[in-house]
Amino acid sequence: MTFIDKDPATAIDLIKEGFETAGYICDRHIATSIYLSQKLDKPILVEGPPGVGKTELAKAASEILSAPLIRLQCYEGLDESKALYEWKYGKQLLYTQILKEKLGDLLEDAVGLEQSMEKLHQFGDSFYSEKFLDARPLLQALQSKEKTVLLIDEIDKSDHEFEAYLLEILSDYQISVPEIGTIKAKTKPLVFLTSNNSREMSDALKRRCLHLYIPFPDASLERRIIQTRVPELEENLRNQLVSFVQQLRTQDLKKLPAVSETIDWARTLMLLHADKLDVDLVRNTLNMLLKFEEDIDNMSSEVPKFIAVARKEFR
Amino acid sequence: MDKALADFVEMLRYSDVPVSISESVDAAETVRLFGYKDRGLLKTALAQVMAKTIEEQESFERCFDEFFSYQINPDLDPENTQEEAENPETSQTAESSPPPTAANDDEGQPSPASGGGEGGGGFSGEQSQGGATAPLIDLLERNDRTELTMAMTAAANAANLRNIVLMTQRGLYTRRIMEGMGLDQVNREISRRNQEGDAAGADRLSGRTELLFDAVRDMVERQLALTSSGKAKQFRQDILKNVRLSNVEHRDFKYMRLLVQRMAKRLTDMNSRVKKVKNRGHLDIRKTMRRNVAYDGILFETHWKQKHKDRPKVLAVCDVSGSVASVARFLLLFLYSLNEVLPKVRSFAFSGDLGEITAEFDRLGPEEAIPYAIDKYGGRSTDYGRALEDFKDLCLNDIDNRTTVIFLGDGRSNGADPRVDILKEIKLRAKRVIWLNPERKSIWGSGDSEMLRIAPYCTTAQTCNSLNKLELILRDLLKSN
Repeated sequence: MTFIDKDPATAIDLIKEGFETAGYICDRHIATSIYLSQKLDKPILVEGPPGVGKTELAKAASEILSAPLIRLQCYEGLDESKALYEWKYGKQLLYTQILKEKLGDLLEDAVGLEQSMEKLHQFGDSFYSEKFLDARPLLQALQSKEKTVLLIDEIDKSDHEFEAYLLEILSDYQISVPEIGTIKAKTKPLVFLTSNNSREMSDALKRRCLHLYIPFPDASLERRIIQTRVPELEENLRNQLVSFVQQLRTQDLKKLPAVSETIDWARTLMLLHADKLDVDLVRNTLNMLLKFEEDIDNMSSEVPKFIAVARKEFR
Repeated sequence: MDKALADFVEMLRYSDVPVSISESVDAAETVRLFGYKDRGLLKTALAQVMAKTIEEQESFERCFDEFFSYQINPDLDPENTQEEAENPETSQTAESSPPPTAANDDEGQPSPASGGGEGGGGFSGEQSQGGATAPLIDLLERNDRTELTMAMTAAANAANLRNIVLMTQRGLYTRRIMEGMGLDQVNREISRRNQEGDAAGADRLSGRTELLFDAVRDMVERQLALTSSGKAKQFRQDILKNVRLSNVEHRDFKYMRLLVQRMAKRLTDMNSRVKKVKNRGHLDIRKTMRRNVAYDGILFETHWKQKHKDRPKVLAVCDVSGSVASVARFLLLFLYSLNEVLPKVRSFAFSGDLGEITAEFDRLGPEEAIPYAIDKYGGRSTDYGRALEDFKDLCLNDIDNRTTVIFLGDGRSNGADPRVDILKEIKLRAKRVIWLNPERKSIWGSGDSEMLRIAPYCTTAQTCNSLNKLELILRDLLKSN
């Protein structure tokens, strides 16, 4: 991507176009944050309801930057040995066993305990060196020579401790391994952190990141998304479908349908060779949009009304 | 960082968007990248750098619109392209043609907030009077925006604009600034021209004066928005934290609720992080290996991954009788907030009889649950003895060595036996018993107060009559945990 030297407005338009060719339709907010994160060397904390394309954003970014995506899925109990690095204990043990015999040869000419010790010290800490270091996603991203996109997915699911491990990476792009020292990033990765806000992130973490909130898209943006993702769907149906989903989102539901659900629904309708929305069809496929029995029951009666509005808008 | 941005940061901080130093450095960098030219873009970019939650985002947007909406640069003749009005820092804007507000914000706006007061209003006032009166007509005629802005700034400094606090002062300050810039002379000039029959010239001049008036008014309004609303809120919150709970006005209840919630959240955040390593679950290979290197790699000492979150178990008992009714509201509010953040709080209320209100707290919001509790259990004369008996029946068996029992009450039992023996029993079982009393220590034991008898059976018994005190006491407790 060669947007980096352009002036901001051009660069942001370029990024938008780039995302569009990668099949990710975004608004200016998102493009701005990509631009800023490149300019300021800052990670992006992406928040928003589930299914609005937070993870997709990272994937699309990796595509347009042609940088490999390294993904770390967070969960409760995730610790540094899974996320940062781990020593290859098996290999270490194996080596000690094998090398036991060699020890005799090495210390052959040493006289007394002290000299032997002296001799051993000369070999250094070969067991705790990079050769025995098993790089996990975060370390992989730092060690990579080419630029990578690092996606730390659902950071809100992880523990407080893990957040603290992340701080060093996020602000300085480095990791401290006690046995070795500090490992600095060869090329600074583009870091995305996504969160569903199931818990509040600490101020320290938020301070180190740009904050990007992705809300549900408005109708025109959503139409474009569907157009890109399900191009086979004919225009009239697409418009009605988006209008229907937009109306659903104004209702008081347990879980509002997100973009990913709209896409799924569009695909379903296409498979069913639908050419317009009708009440039975919608009722039968409502479970693609709504994920709670209660929501489906409540909305079932509203379906004709929504369809009427959608049809009125787009004949 | 330019002054405009610094002021904007300050405004944000007063509006509940805590912008840290590193964030403001980033913001400065962002402004350098984007310039003030494309306002929408700048807003988007700055929002991502400075506002880190959705609520903050909302405040940010409000502040941004407010801050950059004032037309304080007197653009008297819109066709004129501006030439040199920008600061060196914002040189990007130089090529941009008008929409001038943002570009010039950093020119006109900063000065009222900077240095204003120190010079001594009177002296600099004289100066600007002397220096600026004569040329104002000239400036207006020439439409020299830089000069006009500077004159406005000087006059604003002279009028001590940054001390503005109240809405009602707007007219006064506008007038003072205009007079400082030499309004009188301009008026005289206008009437002279009118008399001499130069109606067009007079109209032009008065039209431009009107525009200048608007610009000054905007500058004043912006300063007002910048300083007073945020400061006033801050001020109010500080006061509320310290005021005696019984004296809090009903209209401040909303603010108190926010404060209380914030405190409770902070306390529980601090407290729920305590963890203990358990002796089962997944083996922590790394630690185990490390530990056992000394034993030739034979796994001799094991380490386990599973940790136990030590969430405190709290039983809170609140007196809601008439004597403490005004305080009870806040104690209950605090309990409610604790309930929201701590999973294992059980709340009880009493005056005569005692009953559990945990379910009501869960079900209803505080606006309903608190009056409900006061209504259901309050209004009778306090009897600590009975309350403790009820409490014993209800939940003595649930009290174990991890339970904290908090009593909120004045210890005035209306002559009835306070049944300290039950309290003693509770203390033996519980991790600790805390008694919070809204009365000062010096009157404990006076009249029907049983505090002196009660206190020995509590781990701590403290006076607690303001939110700050309440927070301090609880924090100390949690620290010693």
